[in-house]
Amino acid sequence: MPGKTPHSNGKEPVENSVRNNQDVEMTDEKSSMKGKGKKSVKEGEDMTVVVPPSKATKQSSQPPPADAEGDISMDDPDKEQDLEVKVDPVTQAVTDIKSNFALLDRAVALFDSRFTLRALRSISSLRKRLTPEIISQVIAETFPPTSASAAVAKQLLTAIGKADVPLGRLSSTDMEIDNDSKSPKNGSKKEIKDIIPEIDIFLAILIQVHLFDSKQFQSGAEFSKSLADRIHSLNRRTLDSLSAKVYFYYELFCEQLAPLPPSPRSPIVAIRPTLLTALRTAVLRKDIDTQAAVIVLLLRNHLLTSHISQADLLVSHTQFPENAANTQVARFLYYLGRIRAIQLRYTEAHEHLTAATRKSPASNCALGFAQTATKLLLVVELLMGDIPERATFRASNMEQALRPYFLLVQAVRVGNLEDFETTIADHADTFRRDGTYSLILRLRQNVIKTGIRMMSLSYSRISLRDICIRLHLGSEESAEYIVAKAIRDGVIEATLDREHGFMKSKEVGDVYATREPGEAFHDRIRACLGLHDESVKAMRFPMNQHRLELKNAQEAREREREMAKEIQDGDLDDDDLGGDFEGM
Amino acid sequence: MAERALQQIISQLKSHPNAPYSEASKLLSKAKIALLQLKVVTPSPSTPSSHLALATELYEAGALFSIRAKNAEAFTRYVSQLQPFYELADDAESGGSREESRNKVTGLYLLLLLTQGRYAEFHSELESLSTRARGSEEIERDRYLGYPIKLERWLMEGSYDRVWKAMKSREVPSEEYGVFSEILTSQIRSEIASSSERAYPSLPLSSTKSLLFLDSEGAVIDFARQRGWVIRDGQIFFPATEGAEDGGDEKEISQMVIENTLGYARELETIV
Repeated sequence: MPGKTPHSNGKEPVENSVRNNQDVEMTDEKSSMKGKGKKSVKEGEDMTVVVPPSKATKQSSQPPPADAEGDISMDDPDKEQDLEVKVDPVTQAVTDIKSNFALLDRAVALFDSRFTLRALRSISSLRKRLTPEIISQVIAETFPPTSASAAVAKQLLTAIGKADVPLGRLSSTDMEIDNDSKSPKNGSKKEIKDIIPEIDIFLAILIQVHLFDSKQFQSGAEFSKSLADRIHSLNRRTLDSLSAKVYFYYELFCEQLAPLPPSPRSPIVAIRPTLLTALRTAVLRKDIDTQAAVIVLLLRNHLLTSHISQADLLVSHTQFPENAANTQVARFLYYLGRIRAIQLRYTEAHEHLTAATRKSPASNCALGFAQTATKLLLVVELLMGDIPERATFRASNMEQALRPYFLLVQAVRVGNLEDFETTIADHADTFRRDGTYSLILRLRQNVIKTGIRMMSLSYSRISLRDICIRLHLGSEESAEYIVAKAIRDGVIEATLDREHGFMKSKEVGDVYATREPGEAFHDRIRACLGLHDESVKAMRFPMNQHRLELKNAQEAREREREMAKEIQDGDLDDDDLGGDFEGM
Repeated sequence: MAERALQQIISQLKSHPNAPYSEASKLLSKAKIALLQLKVVTPSPSTPSSHLALATELYEAGALFSIRAKNAEAFTRYVSQLQPFYELADDAESGGSREESRNKVTGLYLLLLLTQGRYAEFHSELESLSTRARGSEEIERDRYLGYPIKLERWLMEGSYDRVWKAMKSREVPSEEYGVFSEILTSQIRSEIASSSERAYPSLPLSSTKSLLFLDSEGAVIDFARQRGWVIRDGQIFFPATEGAEDGGDEKEISQMVIENTLGYARELETIV
C-alpha cells in the first residue's frame, strides 16, 4: 500500500481531497483523546446512569451536571455551595459520604439492592472531591476504636497512607450541619453493634476510586487484591453489587501496571484465575451483579491480549445472566460483537453491536462507550456490504470522533480504491488505537465489489480493460476473475464474454417484486414488538399494590350491587344513574 | 544429561532436514522424553531460558518435519504446544534467528488454516499477531508472514491469477510452503469453476485452459467432465443450475406473508 507512513498527518496538508487537513486533524485528535479519557471515566462509574431514576430521589446534594463535563474544576460547584449553605467543602463531602451509609443500612435491612445501587451512583459526584483527609476523617468518625471491625478500618487507613489517624473521633462539625434525621441515625448506628461490612466495602471502593484517580496503580492493585480476598470470604447477598465494583477496579488497576496489556506478561494475565474463581463463586451464589461484571471483565481481559479463541471459549462456556444490569449487558454485547467481527461472523456481530449502541446511555456520560461501539458497528456494517446512514455522522457528539470513519465510508460507497488506501494511510494510527485496523484492511474487497457494482449499474456493457483501469486492479486477468467472483456472489447481475473481453449487465429487476421489502418490514415489526415486550418486562410495580386494586374492585362491585338493588326498588333517578356510570 | 541428549537430537534433526518422517519421529519422541526429564513440556515463568529455547527449537523442528510429511494434525499439535513458549519468549530478548523460525512456523500455520477454510481462526491468529510489539506493516513485509496474508487477501478479492503467480514464482518463502501449493491450486480451480458457471454463458475450450491454469486441453476436458459440464463444438456450456424453482418460491412467499400477518395479529391482540 502506497505511502503508509505513520506520520503523514501534518506533512502533506494539501494532498488529495482531504479538506484542510491540518485543522481538522488536530481537533479530531483532541476529541478522540477526550473520548478515550471519558471512556475510562465512564467505565469507572457512570454507566450506572442508565438505571431508571428511582422515585424517591434523595440523592447527594451535588448538582449532577458537574460530572457530565469532565473538565470542570472542582472548586466551582463547591463555591456555589459556599454561597448557599456556607459549608466547608470537606465537611460537605464527609456528610455526603455518610449519607450513603444510611442507604446501605436500609439496603441491608430491607434486602433491597436498589439502595445499594443508589449509594454507588453517588460515587461519581463524590469522586472529584475525594482526598485522603476526607476519607480518613470519615473512617475515623464511623468506626469505634474498640470493635471487631477496627482492624478493618486500620487496613483502610493504611491503604491511603493515614495509618496514624485515631479511630472513634467525633467531629463537632458533624453536629452543626446535620439538622435532619441523619445525625441520630449515625449515633444509634454506632451504639447498636458493629459496622456492617457493606459500609466498609463502600469505603474501600471510595479508596480504590481515589487511588485510581491519583494514579497510584501499584498500591491500588495490592489493596484491591486484599479487598477481593476479603469479599471472597464474606457471603452476604447485599454485598453483590458492591463486590462487582471492587473486581472492576481491580482489573482496571492491573491494566495500568508495568508491562502494558498487549504483552502476555501483563499483570492482567495473572489475575485471570482470581476472576475465574470469583465467577464460579458468583454463579454458585446466584450473584448476578458480580457474575455479569466478572464475565465482562474477563472478556475485556482476554481481548486486550488478543486471546480471541480463549474469549470465544469463555463465551460459549458461560451463560451471561439474563437480568443483569443494563450497563453490563451493553458492555458484554460490545465485546461479543468484537469477537464475532474478528471471526468473520458479521451478521451476529452486527446484531450484538447494534444492541450495544442502543443500550448505551443516551446522555453524554458514557460518550466514550457509545463512540467506540459505534465505530466498530460502522466497520462491521461496511464489511457486510451496507452503507451506514449519513445521520450517524452528523450527531454532534460523534461527528469529530467519527470523522476518519466518515472518510472511509465515503471511499467505500463510491468504490474508489485510491481514496480508500489514502484514508487508511492517513488515519492508520487512529484506526489502530480504536482496534479496528485489521478489520478495516479486510474492507478492500468490499471497495472493489462496490466499484464493480457501480460500473455494472451505469454501463450496460464495459470492457474488462476499463474496469481494470477504473479500479486500479493489477491486470485484466485479475479483473476478469474478480468480476466472475462478484457475479457468483450475487453482487451484480451480469455475464462475461471471454472472447471479446467485456462485461454485459443484465436488466435490473424490480426490487418490489421480490420478497425483500416484506422481509425488511418484518424485521422492523419484530424489533418493535421486542421493544414492547422488553419494556413490559422492565416495568416495576409497587409491592402489594394489587391488593389495593382488589379492594377497589370489591368496592366497585358492591356499589354496582347496591345500584342494581336500587334500580330494582325503582327509587333511582335517571340523572343519578348517568352520573354513576360515568364514574365507573 | 538430558539437556545434552536433547541438543544432540536437535542438531541431528537440523542437519538432515530431508530425513524420512518415520526416522525423525523416532528421534522426536526420544527428545520429548528428554524434555519430560527437564520438566519443560509445559513451560512456566520459572523455567530456565536455556531449556525454553531448547524446547522451542525442538517443537519447531517437529512442526517442520510434520508439515514436510503432510501430517496436518501433528503440525497443528506442535503449533499449539509452541504457543505458550512463544508467549513466554515475547518479553525476553529474542534474537533474529529465533524470531525468524517463529514466523516461519506461524506463517505455515496461517497457510494451513487458509487451505482448510478455517477463516475465523485465521483472523483470530492474525489479530494476535498484530498486537505483538511490531506494527502490522512490518508483519506484511515479513517474508514468512506476509505470504499467507497476501494470499488470503487475493483469494477474498478474487484475484486468483495473483495467487497463482505467487505460488509459481520465487515468492514462496521456503520449501515447506510448497506443500500447500497443491491444495491451494485445486482450491482456486474449483473457485474459478464455480464462478465461471455463473458468469459465462459459454467458454471456448482453448481459453479455458489458461483460465483454469491447466496444462493441456485434455486436462480441461477431464476437469469439465468432473464438474458435469457439456462440451460442444469446442465450447463449454454450463448446465443450468436454476430451473423451475419459481413456482415453489411463490408459494413459499405467500405462505410466509400469511404467517407473518397472523403473527402480527396475535401480538396486537396481546398488546391491546
